[in-house]
Amino acid sequence: MKKEYVTFVRRMRDLNEGKEVLFIKDLAPGPRKYDTKLVRAELSRQPNKLPDGDVLWIRSETGRLQPEPWAIKVLEELPPHVPGQPWQDLFVAMRQLK
Amino acid sequence: MAFSDLREFIAALDKSGELVRIKREVDWDMELGAISRRNFEQSGPALLFEKIKDYPSGYSILNGPVATWRRVAIALGLPPDTSVRQLYAAYEERRDKKIKPVLVNSAVCQENVMTGSQVDVYKLPAPMVHDGDGGRYIATWDIIITKDPDTGWTNWGMYRFMTHTQNLLTGWPQATSQLAMMMKSKYLPRKQPMPIAIVSGCESLCHMVATDPYKPGENEVEYAGGLRGAPVELVQCKTQDLMVPAHAEIVIEGELLPDRIALEGPFGEYPGYRSGTMGEGVLVQITGITHRNNPTLTLSTLGVPPDDSSIAASLTAGIAMKRGLKRRGVPVREVYVPPEGVTHLIVVSVERGGSQVARQVLDYFTARRVMVSKAIVVDKDLDAFDMNQVIHAFATKCHPGRGITLEHYEGRANALTPCYNADERRRLKGASVVFDATWPDDWDPEGIPVKSSFETTYPEAVKNKVLAEWANYGLGGKR
Repeated sequence: MKKEYVTFVRRMRDLNEGKEVLFIKDLAPGPRKYDTKLVRAELSRQPNKLPDGDVLWIRSETGRLQPEPWAIKVLEELPPHVPGQPWQDLFVAMRQLK
Repeated sequence: MAFSDLREFIAALDKSGELVRIKREVDWDMELGAISRRNFEQSGPALLFEKIKDYPSGYSILNGPVATWRRVAIALGLPPDTSVRQLYAAYEERRDKKIKPVLVNSAVCQENVMTGSQVDVYKLPAPMVHDGDGGRYIATWDIIITKDPDTGWTNWGMYRFMTHTQNLLTGWPQATSQLAMMMKSKYLPRKQPMPIAIVSGCESLCHMVATDPYKPGENEVEYAGGLRGAPVELVQCKTQDLMVPAHAEIVIEGELLPDRIALEGPFGEYPGYRSGTMGEGVLVQITGITHRNNPTLTLSTLGVPPDDSSIAASLTAGIAMKRGLKRRGVPVREVYVPPEGVTHLIVVSVERGGSQVARQVLDYFTARRVMVSKAIVVDKDLDAFDMNQVIHAFATKCHPGRGITLEHYEGRANALTPCYNADERRRLKGASVVFDATWPDDWDPEGIPVKSSFETTYPEAVKNKVLAEWANYGLGGKR
């Protein structure tokens, strides 16, 4: 059974296939649903190209859901935060992690 | 008579028919939010969800404690059918009163304590409020408490916070908020975390004070006491040097971190949209969670009005704006914040009108951080609380050329204003406009059009006769 996650992006064009660092929220039902992880992961927009991957749903900065999910294979779990100052643009700060 | 806690207030709502207890199990994951949102859009009762999926029996969520004027009246200890104008007057009369808090050594809000590795925010039923939100918003109708490390001034505000992990929250106090100013000016330069308490489930006047834009340095807990007519009992947090209301249902203690951030938002906010505020928030390390036995989380499923935000802020912001305009010398008579305008649209009635006064009004609203984008200035001869009269005046008396004044600004706009584009929201760049719906003060009185209404058009003798004979004309008892 594949796991399902959701991530949020400013713009769809910001999300690239291949290795990425991103925040994902666990969609497994139960009281811990939506728990957030920062991960280094392999991404593919075509699930058949990442057969051992899980399901990654993608939402925009206004919360709109992309109709088709991508595939994600988590390679490494990182501490669930990034260096940066309050109110700083998180996505700019995350570029340093790549 | 002040309510001692949220439970007394819930009992009063129940007694007055302003509460429905939902005993059937409801899913915290959107179902609860969907019920609450639809109920808001029907101006329905407060909802107490008494059985929440995945959570122990006895844990509950209260949505919409003051989302109608009737419930605001009950919170103020007034009859439920008190008019909006009377509620404004009552709040204004009490707003300047201060009663010092009472410090207590033990409190019901600390009947249950989690600290250190025991901390697990998922033990509380934080709801996924709307589909598409960035997370589970545990703090929507809250009191956020922070303290100035130099002066000891304690600030109460209301900001959104969501769960991130079991011991981390992310939140989005606006970058121009008092909390942000305190963090930026006092803690960030020292690279220190800022102690923070996120409080849920107080009696409603304490929450309303948190929405009131008191000036920095003002002691909001004393104003809460004044508004209640009784002191607020405070207790020391278990893990932070902060005092919190002893009667609260839930207190999350923590530190707002100066050097780490994480994903926050988006969220369906008080203007009625999820407009793209995301990834520019703050990160809180939870150091302790305390709560009453069988705690009740207070929730406001924000969105299109009416809801707690649009109703409570109508009152608290309206009175604060009236005071502010008076301080700046504006001949203000009344200020009304129509809930449908979600604090973006304000009605100001003035003793005397004209373009200079309209300019003064615009200057007031754009002087510092700007939450208002449209103000309509009207003459004193109409009821500022009657939007039928306001729209009529706006439509007929505001000159499309001379009657509109626009002001642009950057660095202090409201990032939640939906009509701003993404770039404007990030740069806090915006504009405000004043619509002058008053007669120009330089017009010859003889040239001012006469309003064609029953009240203004006929001689007193004719009006009196018509009123006296009204029923005899076959028009029933309507007067």
